[in-house]
Amino acid sequence: MADHQNPPITALATPWGSSAIAVIRCSGLGAIELVDRIFLPAGKLASAAANSVHHGFLVDPDSRVRLDEVMVVLLRAPGSYTGEDTVEVMCHGSTAGIQRILALLLAIGFRQAEPGEFTLRAFMAGKLDLTRAEAVNEIVSARTAESHEMALQRLSGALEQRINAIKARLVTLLAAVDIQLDYPEEDSGEVVIAPEAVVEVRDKIRELLASYRTGRIYQQGVRVAIAGRTNAGKSSLFNELLRQDRSIVSETAGTTRDYIESTIALAGVPVRLYDTAGFRDSSERVETEGMRRSREILDAADLVLYVIDAGEGVHDSEPAMLQQLRESGRLVGVWNKIDLPAAGAHAAPHGFAAVSLNTGQGLPQLIELICERILPASLTWNGEPVIDSLRQKQLLEAADSALGHVLEGLAMQIPVDAVALDVEEALHSLGAITGEVTTEDVLSAMFAGFCVGK
Amino acid sequence: MTAARRGGDNSGWMDFDVIVVGGGHAGIEAALAVARLDFSVLMITQNLDCIGKLSCNPAIGGLAKGNMVREIDALGGEMGRLIDATMIQFRVLNRSRGPAVQAPRAQADKLAYQTLAKKTLEQQKNLCIFQDTAVDFILDSAGHEIRGIVTERGRRFHAAKVIVTTGTFLNGRIYIGEFSMPAGRLGEPAARGLEQGLSRVGFKLGRLKTGTPARVHRDSLDFSRMEPQFGDQDIVPFSFSYDSVDRPRLPCYITFTNQETHRVLAENMHRSPLYSGRIVGHGARYCPSIEDKVVKFPDRSRHQIFVEPEGLQTAEMYLNGVSTSMPEDVQQRFIHTIAGMEHAWIMRPGYAVEYDYIDPSQLYPSLECKMVRGLYVAGQTIGSSGYEEAAGQGLMAGINAARALQRKEPLILSRAEAYIGVMIDDLVTLGTEEPYRMFTSRAEHRLSLRHDSSDMRLVEIGREVGLVTDRYYQRFVAKRVGVEEIKELLRKRRVAETDVSALRALQLGGNFELDSSLGKTFYQLLKVPEIAMIHLAAVDRSLAEPRPIEWLRQVELDVKYEGYVARQDRQVDRFQRMERMKIPADFDYNALSGISNESREKFKRIRPLSIGQASRISGVRNSDIAILMVSLGRWAKQAG
Ligand SMILES: Cc1cc2nc3c(=O)[nH]c(=O)nc-3n(C[C@H](O)[C@H](O)[C@H](O)COP(=O)(O)OP(=O)(O)OC[C@H]3O[C@@H](n4cnc5c(N)ncnc54)[C@H](O)[C@@H]3O)c2cc1C
Ligand SMILES: Nc1nc2c(ncn2[C@@H]2O[C@H](COP(=O)(O)OP(=O)(O)OP(=O)(O)O)[C@@H](O)[C@H]2O)c(=O)[nH]1
Ligand SMILES: [Mg+2]
Repeated sequence: MADHQNPPITALATPWGSSAIAVIRCSGLGAIELVDRIFLPAGKLASAAANSVHHGFLVDPDSRVRLDEVMVVLLRAPGSYTGEDTVEVMCHGSTAGIQRILALLLAIGFRQAEPGEFTLRAFMAGKLDLTRAEAVNEIVSARTAESHEMALQRLSGALEQRINAIKARLVTLLAAVDIQLDYPEEDSGEVVIAPEAVVEVRDKIRELLASYRTGRIYQQGVRVAIAGRTNAGKSSLFNELLRQDRSIVSETAGTTRDYIESTIALAGVPVRLYDTAGFRDSSERVETEGMRRSREILDAADLVLYVIDAGEGVHDSEPAMLQQLRESGRLVGVWNKIDLPAAGAHAAPHGFAAVSLNTGQGLPQLIELICERILPASLTWNGEPVIDSLRQKQLLEAADSALGHVLEGLAMQIPVDAVALDVEEALHSLGAITGEVTTEDVLSAMFAGFCVGK
Repeated sequence: MTAARRGGDNSGWMDFDVIVVGGGHAGIEAALAVARLDFSVLMITQNLDCIGKLSCNPAIGGLAKGNMVREIDALGGEMGRLIDATMIQFRVLNRSRGPAVQAPRAQADKLAYQTLAKKTLEQQKNLCIFQDTAVDFILDSAGHEIRGIVTERGRRFHAAKVIVTTGTFLNGRIYIGEFSMPAGRLGEPAARGLEQGLSRVGFKLGRLKTGTPARVHRDSLDFSRMEPQFGDQDIVPFSFSYDSVDRPRLPCYITFTNQETHRVLAENMHRSPLYSGRIVGHGARYCPSIEDKVVKFPDRSRHQIFVEPEGLQTAEMYLNGVSTSMPEDVQQRFIHTIAGMEHAWIMRPGYAVEYDYIDPSQLYPSLECKMVRGLYVAGQTIGSSGYEEAAGQGLMAGINAARALQRKEPLILSRAEAYIGVMIDDLVTLGTEEPYRMFTSRAEHRLSLRHDSSDMRLVEIGREVGLVTDRYYQRFVAKRVGVEEIKELLRKRRVAETDVSALRALQLGGNFELDSSLGKTFYQLLKVPEIAMIHLAAVDRSLAEPRPIEWLRQVELDVKYEGYVARQDRQVDRFQRMERMKIPADFDYNALSGISNESREKFKRIRPLSIGQASRISGVRNSDIAILMVSLGRWAKQAG
């Protein structure tokens, strides 16, 4: 029962990489005693009260070498996230240091936790239900303040409330049908399900469904590629956008030499920004691997910032590509270097934003344009609950289609006892979103590949 | 393994395979099932003249209940044949409504019903009937297994299995106004003693109550002031054993209470044992007495009453709708306010009965109890109400006692297979605090549980159990093939010009364009709301002849609701997936740290057989089910 604990596991709780502080979480049977063996002052943790914080050192028990100066948060079962004895070690965030501490923890008896295993344990300990578990996964991977906020909302059950309100409407419809189911013709009037009532509920479901795109954008972010001929000013734009960003989450150099990428936040949306290798003159057009990959990035991008040097004008090779991007709705044209005297000689293609990355002229308008294109006003988060997992979307679609069947049945004058079946189906799907109905698929999707320790 | 029939030996040391206590509707089905499966049975009941008595309403069937009667028949039970042979009016309820809510109902000739029930038992091989009252159980020395029963007169009967079906008799007490006395029915003594045996075994006992209206003399009623209600001209037999039955068709009569009736009742409410607090047992909310109706629905200016004949050989008429336990003078006064009953002569007063029942969650879905091996309980004793409910449980208890003797797995009907399955699952999973009556709305897969297709769902099962005779089975196979043939004909047959004009001549109405049907198949045409099977059969006689009308009706519903049936089937699949996730009998709920204590206690008490059943226990958190699923999950590798 409460004393039931799983074998001790450990893992880094903060993202990999150098940072000021890192947190290593240790949880399970004997977690406190184990950490105590490598903690100085000795014996302090084992006797410590629940929910206490301790300052000290991690020491290699063999060599007596001090690995790091740490703060330790100590939680006892069942009052922790996982419901088990838990020690959270806050250490300095150098990768080498973290690695040494983790190695030590493994050596003294911890097992490396699998991804999500703490959440699984929390779930098994009854500390969080499925929707909330799902939300936790998202908070962990949330990359902007907004997407974090959305996941938090879910954790607090705002989505659940919304869906419960929809369900309540359907339950009312069914209650009337039930009376008819249980009393014969001569004792009860004919119940009619008003199609308008069904349409109203369906609209509510569709509203939530529409929020999926919003949720998705905030959760998954968008890919934005900068393209154009060599020297058009792509890298300048890239750097400019990086500078505009105030919440760079992480930055990685491109794995290949041909392009670089970085994650920034624009309009609260996580943006994966790519700076690509420029296209060259047709005479020099050698199908290099680098250019092929640039094309791949362009193809996969949600938005392409296409930069043209105003001093050079549109090159013969460009209109075809611009046309293609325009048609797919992904083009943001950037008419750069308008500060150059030669710029006046060429006309900007239709819809291009004129800027000078050198002087900064037109830049605020350009950024606003990009934000608007990343997140059209219609999709901007208005603080209402949104759905952001594919599972939720599919269940809402199932509810939507079940209500479609209801309307069809009513139009066909199918008796309500049969039509009720589709209302119940819609209710079932909605119940699966809020975790009221637990299906095997959900669980296996959430926890597939886990070892459930006995 | 079968013990020989030893009915000839009345020395007091008879041995039987199975003892059935009680000769009500549950007891009848239980005893017949066991005997027909070739085990020896002793039915002990208080009074042989009361076997199969319809204690209350002279009717069998109705919504959901009628479906159960047909299910009982398809499994090899008796109730369908009993009512077919003794009905005096037949109706399919809800003909104007959808397929899930249509159900057969018949008025019964009470005495004929009883007589036939007793005769059927008497003629059954392997079955002995004995008049006495069971007062205690005989257990093995450890108290874990049943060995037999002890009777009021001190007789000891031994058996490997005992099925208790004591109805409203366990410690029963009837109430008529200020009057009350120990009784199971008016004029029949209560059964005392066995309730102590049951508590010793570990059963939690509770009190329930139910009531019945007065019976009045036919000749004292003025039918000109009532509206007659006739039954259907064609009778659809409850049993699938034959195509038709020929029975008399008596009318019932409809009248109503009025403001004056309600005033008389309201003024005397303090004299009702229900409201004076003398009755503690819970009654059913859905089947209230007239005094309840007056209190709970003060806005209703009248309540409907069906005046139903109790039989061909009696003048007693049953007043359906005014069940009461008011004092007799009040009963007389309020009845006399009703149109057509101004001079009604009350032959028997209405009364309420309060009795002991056991908490059904102490039973497995096989109806065997969890504390003592070999002890089964069925019928009103486990909290249900109604003849059909009792019969369905009796049949299942009988089958399962026999299967235990055969060392076979118990037969547990699922909620997707039968109303009987829904009922037993509800009772053993949820328990009950009021008399449990079957309702259509309790069955989530009701579209699959149509009465007319009960045979399609259950005959194979009954056959496997061994209760379905060869002749019955052959009829069933012929129907199954026949129904498919009709569908095939419909699929092949295309609408021709001549069909269109023939259909037009039928003047079907609606806004359906007949011309647009040219070239379509009859199968497609049948899906049109305005078109019925009889229309198609009128156009093309080869469809109908020489096939029973019931086959055509079944095809019609199958085709018209095909899309719904398909969707219901998907729901059933989903449901079955959860049912198939079995929970081992020795599962250690203490090892699940995350579940709430309330859920844990419930799991330990109910001991659900599957995740599906676990999820239906009331008050169990969904997240606890999810935890249980993960811990049992086959997808979750065990830690190595
Ligand atoms: C007053 C009254 C009102 C009712 N009202 C309704 C209603 O409104 N709606 C409804 O659906 N149903 C009603 N019924 C219930 C209906 O009669 C029962 O549901 C049905 O008969 C139950 O069948 P059973 O086999 O469980 O028990 P019963 O039909 O009660 O049969 C039990 C049999 O067991 C015998 N018995 C009992 N104890 C012993 C013993 N210890 N030893 C030997 N024999 C014993 C009895 O003599 C009796 O023959 C009412 C019944 C009564 C009496
Ligand atoms: N006058 C002027 N020069 C600019 C402007 N923007 C960029 N440049 C210059 O143009 C040159 C090329 O800029 P980059 O940003 O490196 O161009 P690129 O498109 O990344 O070039 P490649 O990576 O070689 O394809 C640099 O010398 C920049 O200083 C501008 O707005 N005005
Ligand atoms: Mg560059």
